[in-house]
Amino acid sequence: MRAVRRGVIVARLARRPWRSAALVCAALLSACDLSGGFKGMAIDPPRAMPSFGFTDSDGRTVSTAPEAGRPMVLFFGYTHCPDVCPTTLADWKRVHASLGDKANRVRFVFVTVDPERDTPAVSERYVQQFVPTFEGLSGDAITTSRMTEAFGVASAKEAGTDATGYLVSHSSQLFLVDDAGRLVALYPFGTGWQALAADLERLL
Amino acid sequence: MNAAPIIGAVGCALLTACTLQSAPPAERITVRSGWARMADSGATSGAYLDIVNNDTTTHSLIGVAADGVDAAEVHESTQHEGMSHMMPRTDLPIAPGATLTMQPGGIHVMLIGVRRRLSVGDSVRLQLRFSDSTVVSTSVPVRTP
Repeated sequence: MRAVRRGVIVARLARRPWRSAALVCAALLSACDLSGGFKGMAIDPPRAMPSFGFTDSDGRTVSTAPEAGRPMVLFFGYTHCPDVCPTTLADWKRVHASLGDKANRVRFVFVTVDPERDTPAVSERYVQQFVPTFEGLSGDAITTSRMTEAFGVASAKEAGTDATGYLVSHSSQLFLVDDAGRLVALYPFGTGWQALAADLERLL
Repeated sequence: MNAAPIIGAVGCALLTACTLQSAPPAERITVRSGWARMADSGATSGAYLDIVNNDTTTHSLIGVAADGVDAAEVHESTQHEGMSHMMPRTDLPIAPGATLTMQPGGIHVMLIGVRRRLSVGDSVRLQLRFSDSTVVSTSVPVRTP
């Protein structure tokens, strides 16, 4: 009976991706510890995250699997976004500059929530305008859906104008994953870039 | 008939006209602190500026056009429960003496379909349209994001 009930809930969540993402996000936020030593919203205890595979514009596989000595910063957005996404990437550029030589040990990864328009090549070019080593990833619908669900990221198409085409509302926080693949902190949009820079310094 | 009052009146009128003519007309709407983001050819960019209403009546920003793009629109980003939303704004009233401030994460000009790459050192010409048919043109520099 319980299994049936659980199945019903999962089916309901699947029909309501926003609610599903909101629940995961709420769970992550409830684990946040503002006094954990991180300038961002620390996840305590850190949460092990699954890794995902993508294909880049040259056909090579790119994975989000942890790499020793390399923390990862993640953001989910889309390239038709003229404001919040480039503002975030501009902050990453400031963080990258502030880290000096150590910056190349950090993976700055942008994952599009609009793979329909953002091909791997479009995503890559978009982020490389900011810093050439930033990674822009575009996955198939299933990979995108699984990854956003794992991180509690919601996204939804919304009507735009004839000129803009559809717009995409999306979760706008940043995620900091340590080199063991554990989510350690979140940064809501509007958090000063210095917080992320300080937390990366701590991990490097 | 005493001509003095007539001469005085004419003199006054001339002086008044002189005063009006010599004072430059105040700009009812001025723009400052404008800039646009660099962008790839074909991509989307954003521009930001402050619009100051120096007039004694409210003026509403109802649209924008830009050179070198497929379309330009005024939009506003909002944050709600961790989600970023964006919506077109087609009527933004600016009260007398007030300033409409555009900034990242808020109101901005969306530049759609940039026809050629926007690099630092380039500029983008914008035409701001107001409800009373006033059009204010300005050129904003492209900045590194």
